[in-house]
Amino acid sequence: MNNNKESKKENSMRLKSALDLYDNAPCGSVSFQNDGLILDINKTLAVWLGYSKEELIRKRTLPSLFKIGGQIFFETHFFPLIKMQGFIKEVYFDIVKKDKSTLHSLINVREIPHSDNQNISYQATILDISDRWHYENELLKAKQLAEAESKAKADFLATISHEIRTPLNSILGIGNLLHQTPLNKNQKEYARLLLHSSEHLLSLVNNLLDLSKLEAKKIVLEHVPFNIVELTNILQQTFSVRANEKGIKLSVEIQENTPHSLIGDPVKLNQILTNLIGNAIKFTKKGMVSLSISVEKNTKSEVCLHFKVKDTGIGIPKEKLEFIFQEFSQASYDVSVEFGGTGLGLTISKKLLEMHQSNLNVTSELNVGSEFSFNIWYTKSQTSIPKKETIGTDNLKNHNFNSLKVLVVDDNPANIFIAAQYLDLWKITYKTANSGLKAINLIKKYDFDIILLDLQMPKMNGYEVAKKIRKLKLNLQPVIIAFSASAKSEVSSELLEAGINDHLPKPFQPIQLFELLRDCQNPIKKKNSLYSKSIKKPKNNTITSIKTNVESFNLERFQKMANNKPEYLKKFRLSTLDALISYQKDFKKAIKTKDINALSDLIHKSTMSLYYIQADPLSDLLNECRRILTEEPENKSLIIKNKKKIKDEFTIIINGLKKE
Amino acid sequence: MKTSNHKDIDRIFNVNIRGNGTRPMLFAHGYGCDQNMFRFIYPYFEKDYKIILFDYIGSGKSDLSEYSNEKYNSLDNYADDIITICNHLKLKDIIFVGHSVSAMIGVLAFNKSPQLFSKMIMIGPSPRYINDIDYNGGFEESSIMELLETLDSNYLGWSKSMAPVIMGNSDKPHLGEELSNSFCSTDPEIAKNFARVTFLSDNRQDIKKVTVPCLILQCKNDVIAPVEVGEYTSKSIKNSTLKILNATGHCPNLSAPEETAEAIEQFL
Repeated sequence: MNNNKESKKENSMRLKSALDLYDNAPCGSVSFQNDGLILDINKTLAVWLGYSKEELIRKRTLPSLFKIGGQIFFETHFFPLIKMQGFIKEVYFDIVKKDKSTLHSLINVREIPHSDNQNISYQATILDISDRWHYENELLKAKQLAEAESKAKADFLATISHEIRTPLNSILGIGNLLHQTPLNKNQKEYARLLLHSSEHLLSLVNNLLDLSKLEAKKIVLEHVPFNIVELTNILQQTFSVRANEKGIKLSVEIQENTPHSLIGDPVKLNQILTNLIGNAIKFTKKGMVSLSISVEKNTKSEVCLHFKVKDTGIGIPKEKLEFIFQEFSQASYDVSVEFGGTGLGLTISKKLLEMHQSNLNVTSELNVGSEFSFNIWYTKSQTSIPKKETIGTDNLKNHNFNSLKVLVVDDNPANIFIAAQYLDLWKITYKTANSGLKAINLIKKYDFDIILLDLQMPKMNGYEVAKKIRKLKLNLQPVIIAFSASAKSEVSSELLEAGINDHLPKPFQPIQLFELLRDCQNPIKKKNSLYSKSIKKPKNNTITSIKTNVESFNLERFQKMANNKPEYLKKFRLSTLDALISYQKDFKKAIKTKDINALSDLIHKSTMSLYYIQADPLSDLLNECRRILTEEPENKSLIIKNKKKIKDEFTIIINGLKKE
Repeated sequence: MKTSNHKDIDRIFNVNIRGNGTRPMLFAHGYGCDQNMFRFIYPYFEKDYKIILFDYIGSGKSDLSEYSNEKYNSLDNYADDIITICNHLKLKDIIFVGHSVSAMIGVLAFNKSPQLFSKMIMIGPSPRYINDIDYNGGFEESSIMELLETLDSNYLGWSKSMAPVIMGNSDKPHLGEELSNSFCSTDPEIAKNFARVTFLSDNRQDIKKVTVPCLILQCKNDVIAPVEVGEYTSKSIKNSTLKILNATGHCPNLSAPEETAEAIEQFL
């Protein structure tokens, strides 16, 4: 009896403590039935929410305590899932308290097994995560801020690199010109250093730009057909000059069973190999550099190629091996002084390989040599991709462009002029526009098959123009080909985004333009076109050079462009003559009023024409004239001298061009 | 699906066909989940009908790569998908069962290809969720905007936390293995866009054009589609029957499958 009493007492004690725990547990608890009606709620949750138990039990449903978004979520996601699964763990809900403030909570629900299937009920445990919610919110904000700042930095780097490159290109060009003028020994050396340094600077800036784009994940892998033999041939041609200069043997071996026609990203592969071969040659004083390609794995549709670049150069000390992939690190300071380079090539190559889910392996022995290797998977192309054929001169002349209609858009009249010359030659119908706005108005009025579009234009740049064109409701969207001074493939993702089909670097060779236009006629070929094209220069000019004053200008460039056709050369010559006569007038006007702006305009628009006829002295004199005009105090005698020289140059060139 | 071939359609919409009958019953799930919404309902009809189940692009086990915000920027394209599936399976004389927003997708599909459908069953339909002059849809515009903002804030990503945990679930023997963890877990971006096109839609003019016999199943206490909305829908469709269920909530097919199935059987 006594025992029974005690056990009853004990039971009731235990029940009391269990209920006490339920009511005062550190988490909320609520049970509800199928329709959401609250059956019971513990004290903790009631206190959290600011309601009395009586206000809720059998009066409110659980979802009615949620914000409206939560209610919809409960009906469309949460409830179906409990029905399916019987429980749900840690789903986030905002619960509205009686005072309308919010309780951020995680809810766990389980179904309470019931003998009667109709009266299923559920028990929910609710955790207050308000503190965590605030922390996470702060972290999220901090993360967003950090990401935005990092992106701003990357953007800034990209912009500034691009901005630096434009004047740098001019420095390089002028350095080249300077190098070709008669100079004394000292001056020659200065010019050489100037050229060398600006080339170095340009490659540094290009690499920085690449790196910033890689880091901003702005570079995507392309999947285009290419021929691996063609790619390595061009590499070999490119590097053979440098290797020869250093007396190093450069060999390229491709294992016999390697498939030649592949689908992948040839531009990135080229960039990686260029970096590695360039490094190998740079760090090798004697011996050889070799590129070998072999098949690592072969499946029905794909092939894994193994690339190995080996040199007999200075090697890398063991302790430095792990640092060579870091930005701006070369094995030692002396190395960078002696061999130059940006220290970015390997970092970029490594990142490019990471995009291919691959990595760069290196083995090296000091004073013996280094070996860099990597694997890349490529899809085998079902159709064979021929090596690019050179266009015969007959093709150039006889190709029929039919009714191809072209629009040339460029703010620089000289560029329009040059493009127009070729289009005339090839009997292609075209119109021209000197601004994006004018281009769009023309496109609205007329149908065009191809738009040749300059990317760097004031007010509306080429990307914007392309995007606007793509938004127009046209019967037939034209093929858009961009002209830009930018090198490499770096613009490609932006081009794609803007809806630009292809890209031609400036200044371009006529064959490049011809090929692009011809490819556009044939859409299948167009897909094969790459952003950068290898161009073989036409050989053997049989046209006798027109001998004129060698110092003032020459027509070699035109002769190359004319590709052995006297009638083309004549056209080039006469159109340049017209241009020069008008430039002469412009100059007279500008110098009379000492109008620096007009002179600048003249220099700007005459650049291309003077470049093609290599009228370097005139070009230099015009620039000098501008400089003198800005000088204070005015140096009258110098101006008169300079003016006379320019007049003479104009006369020589114009007379020269007039001659048969 | 202009580019997809026939084999693809079964795959990209995760089409499943069951049942012993010949007359097709096409079940279209609503916003939030997938074809499993009907798993307690279709067994009632397997004996006499051909049951067709599918997932909308972006839901369940559909091919997510077919989804784009631009394409699915209105209910119209979902309706086109219904027609694509019907034509692909060469369905005729279809009994269409649409839950929630799918009721309206069915209406749009009917208006595009009325010859396909013979009867329509709408579970918790709403031709417009937002209140308007002389119309009570159950939501103020601000609440829907709040919902969209909730989705936008993406905090703890609704849908991500909804991936169910299927473990040896002895309590629920009816849960076969085929219940993938895709149920109710959609890509947050897709969930957001689908919510937008669903809750901002207005199909009040479209429902007037429905001519086939319709059954409207309306729960007593439905936050998403209140009784008033069910009544409005019924009044707008000439040839319709409104059945108020004892079940509550927005998913009688889950909470009261027996009652729901009985109502459908009676109508058929």
